[in-house]
Amino acid sequence: MEQIVNSLRIKFSGSAGTGVAVLGSSFAKCLQRHGLKVYSTNDYPSLIKGGHNTVFLRAEATDFFSHYDYNEIDVLITLNKEGALFHEKELTPGGAIVYDGDKIKFNEGELTRKDIKLVSVPLSAIATKNGGIIMLNTVALGAGMGLLGMDLDPLYKIIDHVFSKKGDAVIAQNKTCAKEGYDAVASFGDFKVKIQAIPVEERMLINGNDGACVGAIRSGVKLIAEYPMSPSSSILHFMAAHEREYKLVVKHTEDEIAAMNFIVGAGATGVRALTATSGGGFSLMVEALGLAGISETPCVVINAQRCGPSTGLPTYTEQADLRFALHASQGEFPRIVLAPGDLNDCFEVMGKAFNFAERVQTPCVVLIDKFLAETAYTIKPFDQKKIIVNRGKFYSDEDMAGRTDYKRHEFTEDGVSPRAIYGQPNGLHVASSYEHDETGWTSEDAEMRIKQIEKRANKMKNISEEELAPQVYGNENPDVTIVCWGSTKLIAREALFHLQEKGLKVKIINYWAFSPFPVETTKKLLSGKEPKIIFEGNSEGQLRYYIREKTGLLIENAYLRFDGRPFTVPEIVSETMKVVKK
Amino acid sequence: MVTAADLNEATHTNQWCPGCGDFGILLAIKNAIVTLGYNPKDVVVASGIGCSGKLPHYIKTYGFEGLHGRALPAASGIKLANNDLHVIAVGGDGDGYGIGMGHFVHSLRRNIDMTYLVHNNQVYGLTTGQTSPTSVKGYSSKSTPHGVIEEPINPIALAMNAGGTFVARSFSGDLKHLTEMLVQADKHRGFAFIDCLQPCITFNKINTYQYFQKRCYKLGEDYDPTNFNSAMEKAWEWERTGDKIPIGVIYKKEHSTYEDELPSLKEKPLVKHDISNVNIDSIIKEYL
Ligand SMILES: Cc1ncc(C[n+]2csc(CCOP(=O)(O)OP(=O)(O)O)c2C)c(N)n1
Ligand code: SF4
Repeated sequence: MEQIVNSLRIKFSGSAGTGVAVLGSSFAKCLQRHGLKVYSTNDYPSLIKGGHNTVFLRAEATDFFSHYDYNEIDVLITLNKEGALFHEKELTPGGAIVYDGDKIKFNEGELTRKDIKLVSVPLSAIATKNGGIIMLNTVALGAGMGLLGMDLDPLYKIIDHVFSKKGDAVIAQNKTCAKEGYDAVASFGDFKVKIQAIPVEERMLINGNDGACVGAIRSGVKLIAEYPMSPSSSILHFMAAHEREYKLVVKHTEDEIAAMNFIVGAGATGVRALTATSGGGFSLMVEALGLAGISETPCVVINAQRCGPSTGLPTYTEQADLRFALHASQGEFPRIVLAPGDLNDCFEVMGKAFNFAERVQTPCVVLIDKFLAETAYTIKPFDQKKIIVNRGKFYSDEDMAGRTDYKRHEFTEDGVSPRAIYGQPNGLHVASSYEHDETGWTSEDAEMRIKQIEKRANKMKNISEEELAPQVYGNENPDVTIVCWGSTKLIAREALFHLQEKGLKVKIINYWAFSPFPVETTKKLLSGKEPKIIFEGNSEGQLRYYIREKTGLLIENAYLRFDGRPFTVPEIVSETMKVVKK
Repeated sequence: MVTAADLNEATHTNQWCPGCGDFGILLAIKNAIVTLGYNPKDVVVASGIGCSGKLPHYIKTYGFEGLHGRALPAASGIKLANNDLHVIAVGGDGDGYGIGMGHFVHSLRRNIDMTYLVHNNQVYGLTTGQTSPTSVKGYSSKSTPHGVIEEPINPIALAMNAGGTFVARSFSGDLKHLTEMLVQADKHRGFAFIDCLQPCITFNKINTYQYFQKRCYKLGEDYDPTNFNSAMEKAWEWERTGDKIPIGVIYKKEHSTYEDELPSLKEKPLVKHDISNVNIDSIIKEYL
C-alpha cells in the first residue's frame, strides 16, 4: 500500500457535551505544530447535551481553501456508536474508525464496509486507570496521533499549557493517557495516511467571527453591545475576553433592541461602536437601524446568518438575509451592506465597515454566514496595514472656536456634514429620529423633506466604484464564469483548480459589497458571452436577482443550496461543468 | 456662568399645549443645570418619543431624540462613550413603563451614573390620549372605552425592587421641588430616577393640577430615605390612601456605579482614546 504523506481528512464525532469540539481543535493544533496547514469546520445541532456533534479537519502540506468535501474522510474518531454507523459511508477505502471497543459493540451487519480498518482502543479503560474518565479525550487524541505516526511532543506542549493551573500531577496523568493511547494503536500496523513534521511556517488558526473581531479592534472599536445568539455569540465572548487589554466597553445588554440603541448612542457620541447578532436579533434592531440612518449616525452591525425564518435551524448556515439587510427598517436611507467571503475578508471588511460608516455617517451591516463564522483555518498573520482608520469628516475644537452657525446636517457638496460631537464647544444640536432641517430641528416641510432624503442618498457617492469592486479570480477569457458571495468563495476558489485541471478556463467573481453596489463594474464583468452560474446559500437567488435589478443582467444559471449545509467542491465542479456542456 | 436664559431655545416655537405640565419640567431642568453650574456643551438630554420626547429640542444643550421607549439604552450608550458628559434621559410613562419597560428595569440595576425623569401624565399624550401603564383602573379613553381592566404600575415600588439606587417622585407644578430633585439626582452617584407627576391638560381630566395640588405633600426632614422597608410603605401610600401622594426622595442607597467597575474608563472616556493605529500583535500571537 502506498502511503499518503501529509494530506488528511479526519472527523471527530460524539454526542453533544462530550468535548468533541475541544478534541477537534486540539488535534488541529497538533497538526499545525507539525507544519501542516489546517482547516476545521463543525456541524452540531442546537442542543447543549445529547445531539450528534462532529468536527471535520483537513490538513495539507501547503495552503488551500476549503474542506473539499466534508463527507469524505480518511479517519473517524468516534466517541459514540451512532457516529460510526452514520459516518462509515464517508470513509475512503483503507480508512479507519477509531473507537472504544470496550464500550461500543457492533452487531452483525451493522457496519457494512469491508475495506476499512476498525481500530478499537480501550479509551475509557486507559483513562480510568490513569486518573479518571475525564481524560478520555486525551487518550483519543493520542490514539489518533499514533495511527497517523505523528510526534506526541506538540500534544505534550498543549497539555502543559492547558493544565498549567491544575498542577504537575494532572499534567503527568494526561501525558500518560496520551502515550498509552498512542501505543495502543501500534498493533494495527501501518495506516494509509502518515503525518510527518515539516518546517512550521507562521500561520494563525482562527475562525471568521474571531477574524472579524480582530478587524474591529484594529479599526478602533470601543463599545460593543450585544445579546447572545448563535452563531454570533462568540463575538461577544471574544470582545469580553479582550475588554481590559484593549480598553473596550463590552455590554451584554437586556436584548437586541437595547444593544442597537446603545451603539447608536455611542456612535452619536463619536465612538466606534459595534453590535453582533443573528437574524432574529437583527429583526429587533431594525427600528434603530433607521434611527442611525436618519440621524446620520455611524455604527456597525454584524449579522451572522443562520437558517431562518424565525428560530429556523439555529446552528446551520445560510445566506438568506441579503435582501433583509438591504431593506431592513421602514423608509429609505443609505446603508452600507458588506459580506466577507474568507478569513482575510473578515478582518479587512471590518476595517472598511467602520471607515465607510464614518465617511458616510450611516449604519453598516456586515453579513457573515454561520459557516464562515465558525470555520477555522490557517492563514498568514493578518496584515495590520490592510486597515487604516479613516474617520471621515469631523470638526476639531479649533474649527469650532467662536462659531455660532454650526449645523449638524448642513447641506454640502458631497452630502456629508462635518461632525461636532457631544462635549465640543459651539456644536449644540439634537440628533433626531424625526425628519429635520439642517440644524436637526424637526421639520415636516415638503421641500426640506426632499432635500434631506437627497442629501442622505447623495452621501453614498463618497464611496467610489473602485473601492467596491468584486474580487475576481481565475482566467481572463473564460469558458465559464462563477459568481458567488459569502463563504461560498472558499469552496469556489478551490473548485477553480479542479475545473482548470479539466482544461477549462474559469473566472470567479466574488461579491463582498452590496450597498453601495458596484453597478458599472458588474456590467463590465458580466458582459462576456461565456455561460455564467451563480452559487448562493438561499432558495430565492437573492444576489442573482439583486444584480438583475441593479444592472438589468440576469445570470442565466443558478445553483442554490438551502439545506443548512455549505457547498462542496465536487458539487461546484459538476454544476459548473453542466452549464459549460449546455 | 450659564443662566436659564442661555438655555432657552429661542428660534423655534414650542409645540406643547399651553398649560401642559411639560413646561414645568423643562424649566426645572434648565434651573437645575444653572444651579449645578454646568456648561451646556457638557450636557446631553436624551429622550424617547412622545410629547415628552420633544424636550431635547426646547433646551440649548446637546440632545438626542431617539425612538419610542428607547431613551435609556441610547442614553446609556452616550454616557459609556463619554462619561465626562452629564446625561439626562427623559420620556413619557408609555415610553418608559410600557414599550421601554425592559430597559427601565435593567437600567435601575445597572446603575449607570445619569438621571432619568419620566413625565408621568398617566396617558399617551402624543397619540391622543390612550390609556397608559399608569392610568388608574377603570380609566376610560379611546383605547379603553369601557375602562381599563388592568391595575396600574407603581413606578416607585417597581424601581425600588429592581435595585434602583435613587428613587424620587416630584410634581411638575412644583418648580422648586422638581428643581431640587433634579439637582439631587444629578449629584447622586448612579442611576437616579424621578417619576414626575405631569398633568396632561388636554387628555387627562382626572389627574389635573388641582388633583395633585390637593394630594401631594413633601417628605419632611425626619423622613429617612435609606430605610428600604419604610420607603416601600411610602411607595404604596398613594395607592393605599387615594389622597396622599408623598413627593421627594423616597429611597436611596450608596452603590458603586456601573462605570466604577470598568477599568477601560479609568484613565479617560472612550471617546478620547486614540484609535488611529491600534496594535493587534498580541491577539495575533494568541492564534499562532
Ligand atoms: C415603535 C413605536 N410604536 C408606537 C409609536 C407611536 N407613539 C408615539 S408616542 C406614543 C405614546 C406616547 O405616550 P407617552 O410615552 O406616555 O408620552 P407622552 O406623549 O404622554 O409624553 C406612541 C404610542 C412610535 N412612535 N413608535
Ligand atoms: S397632549 Fe398632553 S402631554 Fe401632550 S403637550 Fe398636550 S397637554 Fe402636554
